[in-house]
Amino acid sequence: MPTWIAVLVVVALVVVTALVGWLLRRRESRPRPAAAIESDWLEPDARGEQATLVQFSTEMCARCPQVRRMLHTLVDDVDGVALAEVDLTHRADLASRLHILQTPTVFVLDATGAVRSRFAGVPRRNAVAAELGRVIGEPAHV
Amino acid sequence: MSDTPAGIDPRGPRFGAAITSVLLLIVIIHGLTGISTAQGAASFGWFAYQPLAGQTFLLNGFVLAAAPIGLRILDPAFLLLLVVALLFLWGVLSPRTAPWGVLYRKLVQPRSKPPTELEDPRPPRFAQGVGLLVSVIGLVLQLAGVPWGLPIAAAAAFVAAFLNAAFGFCLGCQLYLLLQRMGLVGRRRAA
Repeated sequence: MPTWIAVLVVVALVVVTALVGWLLRRRESRPRPAAAIESDWLEPDARGEQATLVQFSTEMCARCPQVRRMLHTLVDDVDGVALAEVDLTHRADLASRLHILQTPTVFVLDATGAVRSRFAGVPRRNAVAAELGRVIGEPAHV
Repeated sequence: MSDTPAGIDPRGPRFGAAITSVLLLIVIIHGLTGISTAQGAASFGWFAYQPLAGQTFLLNGFVLAAAPIGLRILDPAFLLLLVVALLFLWGVLSPRTAPWGVLYRKLVQPRSKPPTELEDPRPPRFAQGVGLLVSVIGLVLQLAGVPWGLPIAAAAAFVAAFLNAAFGFCLGCQLYLLLQRMGLVGRRRAA
């Protein structure tokens, strides 16, 4: 293969990878509806009065700590919202049951404990705040 | 979690991934222009390689399949990917002393702002292992005479390294949950 074609192929590879990265990044702040998932795996007293954020992590999750810190600041700002964390390192069964393919994954539970939506990846703070507000039924004051 | 190791600056692994990405791009260019993908007898000219007596190969066949093992190894793409694989191995065995990490701490970190957050060193180390595995697959395919094997493996490793460097994604870490769900890694809680 001539060098110029090889260079073109490599440039195309860089461009496509960058595009994929950009799309992945954008998708992470988009909540997916998660109707009809029960939350019997969560201790009832870990739930908040208005809503609950559940973060799923593993020991090998590089980006989980930053999400945990971000969610903590969010939960501190909104009354009646609790934050729970589930370490899937020891719970492969739960990961399959809840169809969790990556960590971090964040579930938004409403006042009754039903899972309303989920974020796969590292969501932006305002995206989680907006979703929390929607689930609580009023805009979150954050 | 008392067994959690001391945190590291998350920019360190990303700095390393950026250098790895560049090296892998060079591997891919060599792979595409060199013996890994070359077809037909015409390409032999620039290797100064004379087919061994009695050895036959198809005119439109891949050069790699007919090349002796020495040529498969002395290919620049193979040698450079071998270096990258050894660097991955270093990162798995001893992340503290791995060259890019040392370079980052000696040259870059003193000149930049202190990190706003520290990260667990285990996920990047696991990802180095995944990088090592992918590189070794590429090397083995080249040794086995499989055309395109090396550049494609290098491209897969590049995608992972570039996404890590540019976006902070860690595909190796994502893979951990999938492997764990298949029961290959991790521990189950005692019932």
